[in-house]
Amino acid sequence: MTAVILDGIVLGLAFGLLGVGMTLVYGLGGVLNLAYGQIVVLAAIVAMIVIDDGRATLVAAVLGVLAAAGVAVVLDLTLMRPVYRERGEERTLLGLLLTLGAAFVIGGVLSWRYPDGALYIYIGGDPVSILGVPMTRGSIWASVIALAVGALLLLFFGATTFGRGVRSVIQDEVGARLVGINPSFVRTVIFALSGALAGIVAMTNAMVGPLGVNAGFELTTFALIVTVVGGLGSVAGAFLAGVLLGVVNSLSAHYIGQYITTIILLGAAALTILIRPRGLLGR
Amino acid sequence: MPTSGRPALLEVEGLAAGYLGERVIDGIDVRVQTGEAVAIVGSNGAGKTTLFRTIAGLLPAMAGRVVLDGKELTRRPAHRISRAGIAYVPAERHLFPAMTLKSNLVLGAYPRRPDPATLELVYDLFPRLRERQRQQAGTLSGGEQQMLAVGRALMARPRLLMLDEPTTGLAPIIAQTAFTALEGLKKEGMTLLIAEQQVPLALSVAERGYVLENGRIRLSGSAEELERNPEVRRAYLGVV
Amino acid sequence: MDLSWRRVGWAVLPIVVTAAVLVILPSVWFGDSPYTTSLAVQAMVFASYGVGFNLIFGSTNQLFLCVGALAGVGGYGAAILVNETSLPMAAGLVVGTASAALVGGLLSWIAVRRSLGIIFTGIVTLVFSLAFANLLLGQRDLTGAENGLVVEGVPDRLADDHVGGYYLFVGLLIGFLVVFRALQLSHAGWAFRALRDDEVAAELAGVNVARYRIYAATIGSAMIGLTGALLAFSTGFISPATYSFDRVDVRVLVFVAFGGLGTLLGPVIGASVFAILDQQLTTSFEKREVLYGVFIIAIFLGFRRGVVYAVLKLWRRLVPTRRVGDATR
Repeated sequence: MTAVILDGIVLGLAFGLLGVGMTLVYGLGGVLNLAYGQIVVLAAIVAMIVIDDGRATLVAAVLGVLAAAGVAVVLDLTLMRPVYRERGEERTLLGLLLTLGAAFVIGGVLSWRYPDGALYIYIGGDPVSILGVPMTRGSIWASVIALAVGALLLLFFGATTFGRGVRSVIQDEVGARLVGINPSFVRTVIFALSGALAGIVAMTNAMVGPLGVNAGFELTTFALIVTVVGGLGSVAGAFLAGVLLGVVNSLSAHYIGQYITTIILLGAAALTILIRPRGLLGR
Repeated sequence: MPTSGRPALLEVEGLAAGYLGERVIDGIDVRVQTGEAVAIVGSNGAGKTTLFRTIAGLLPAMAGRVVLDGKELTRRPAHRISRAGIAYVPAERHLFPAMTLKSNLVLGAYPRRPDPATLELVYDLFPRLRERQRQQAGTLSGGEQQMLAVGRALMARPRLLMLDEPTTGLAPIIAQTAFTALEGLKKEGMTLLIAEQQVPLALSVAERGYVLENGRIRLSGSAEELERNPEVRRAYLGVV
Repeated sequence: MDLSWRRVGWAVLPIVVTAAVLVILPSVWFGDSPYTTSLAVQAMVFASYGVGFNLIFGSTNQLFLCVGALAGVGGYGAAILVNETSLPMAAGLVVGTASAALVGGLLSWIAVRRSLGIIFTGIVTLVFSLAFANLLLGQRDLTGAENGLVVEGVPDRLADDHVGGYYLFVGLLIGFLVVFRALQLSHAGWAFRALRDDEVAAELAGVNVARYRIYAATIGSAMIGLTGALLAFSTGFISPATYSFDRVDVRVLVFVAFGGLGTLLGPVIGASVFAILDQQLTTSFEKREVLYGVFIIAIFLGFRRGVVYAVLKLWRRLVPTRRVGDATR
């Protein structure tokens, strides 16, 4: 049982980062990026190509993360412009449709060119025993990286001027403009950050097991669920929800079954919406 | 209208703005000299808020110009106008509710780091804010939120402070306190542009005023002139 | 409601024209190919789904990502009833339609009670979709799970690769269009437009937004359910794949938005265009996915509000007419 829970936590930390990326973009602009999972896959494939080319894994990982951030910026500067010009539900709908289109394009191109593409970052060494459970080094590394990134994010949003600026745009965009913050610039930077986070998730996931080219939609679904349960726009909420849902996922997959697990996770999202729409830590 | 010959800090010429193609304000000419306090007076719907929003860059002007100290600000985005030195305190305040009072103030100085001296000035002006530094802005009372909004605007060390209906939702005693604080600001040399429905209050602190009616400037003059004006007295001071 | 003959005539005109086109189509295009016929039937089926979805989402902004599931409720409901009992097809159709209407109305009621916005409504209905799919797989005895269900008692004439089947669905579609049009012109239609424009304003003007939403969702779901039930009888065989989210919902959302949300002919145009596209794009699955994505992006960057609005804008620019009481869209 402990093993299952620990696996769940490892998974959950990755979910958390994924959720953070998605919730940030939503909190800032009201857009749910349905292409998010595909960006993760894109980072993985780029890293795979670099590794196959003979370069060091670390270089490949960095390039993958940068590629993801880059694609995110491109998306923001192109597709998101017309979306942000709309307001309210028009914006939501257009955002959903355009990012859906982008998801098809990115995912389609990747599975077309690299139909068997997968990234696996093998971390050698003997398993380490945590609470009596042997955990692979890959899992440990993945968790440590996720925690470190999480801490950096908290520091960024809590203590830096720009980070506070981001929070201010989420809380009151007009107020932010009045104090001299350019919401458009902030959105682009955060979009890039969300892309980078997607890339990092690709790498940490690949440390635990192979990340295949078709994982895109599933990843987007997880990100969406974590975002909703954690509270749209809450970074800490996404992390918390991620870990919780990771554990739930692990327990359910182990004791019940994989298909039902997806339904349970989506059910958690639905339940949150019906009972506590602001999520765990949302406003 | 008698003003000194110096070029004004804020020049608004022929400004027109509105919503969905309709002009709510038109042909607005306003001048504010450095160190002056000017009031824009008018009833609800006269266009005061539209005027301020347009100057602040939240609404694009449909015609006319806004110039700050020679610098053209017409139709620039709000954050640029804020950085150019115009601080706008809207009636809705637009504070950051989930952040502490202090964080709100600190953000007022964006993108610069907050100046400790200015922060002290704000706390001296509004001692209540010092007490409630760590409190979340969303939990403050109406009066405190108003003070915080003004304080936040001051943190930017603006050239011009625009206040839209600063006494809205405040009990009369608090409103009086607010205007006393504004007097204090004026003494420090701050240039003020205030929109108010409550004419006596506005004219108590302002040297000059403009009367806005149906989106146009109806009257302008010194505070004494306006107070003596029979139309103003009838319409806004309830004097027959 | 102004019922002058002239107005009714103008209002019904698009439907009549559409009906005429669809009726002539087989002789012009199908030849004797059952393949083309079944493609056309598919297009009519989707168009019918589309009209229902248009009523729910296009007219009242409720993002129901459970079109497939609602059709499945209709289809499986009808099929199981007919298979398990000795009731005739008509009973199956009634039960299937009613069940779908009930489910849709219930979902709408929940969304209304909890004031769910577009995204949350979408997620909750999505969960329903998946729960329903799971239910189908779970209840093996009744539904046959992945193996599907053979539906008994279908006359061959109306099978989905026969012209008869085609006309059956054309009839259904035209019926739906008439209902949609009637709603558009009634007090309900006015309420729909008001609440789409500005929900708060509509509420303040006295429109019972909640009631109209549930009303629209119930009728739309009935349409979807009826289509699903009729599909079951026409094809003679259904499986969870017939009504799956991937196959139905994504398509319907995209082609109805493409055609024009809230418009009368939007779903018809959208379904037809997508049917033609499907026929042309017989390349690899992944390439189709890419092209699909490019298409979606291009459409929503260009024709933000759909084809019908774009055409109308063009028309108004080319033919400046004074329209008194413009009800036609």
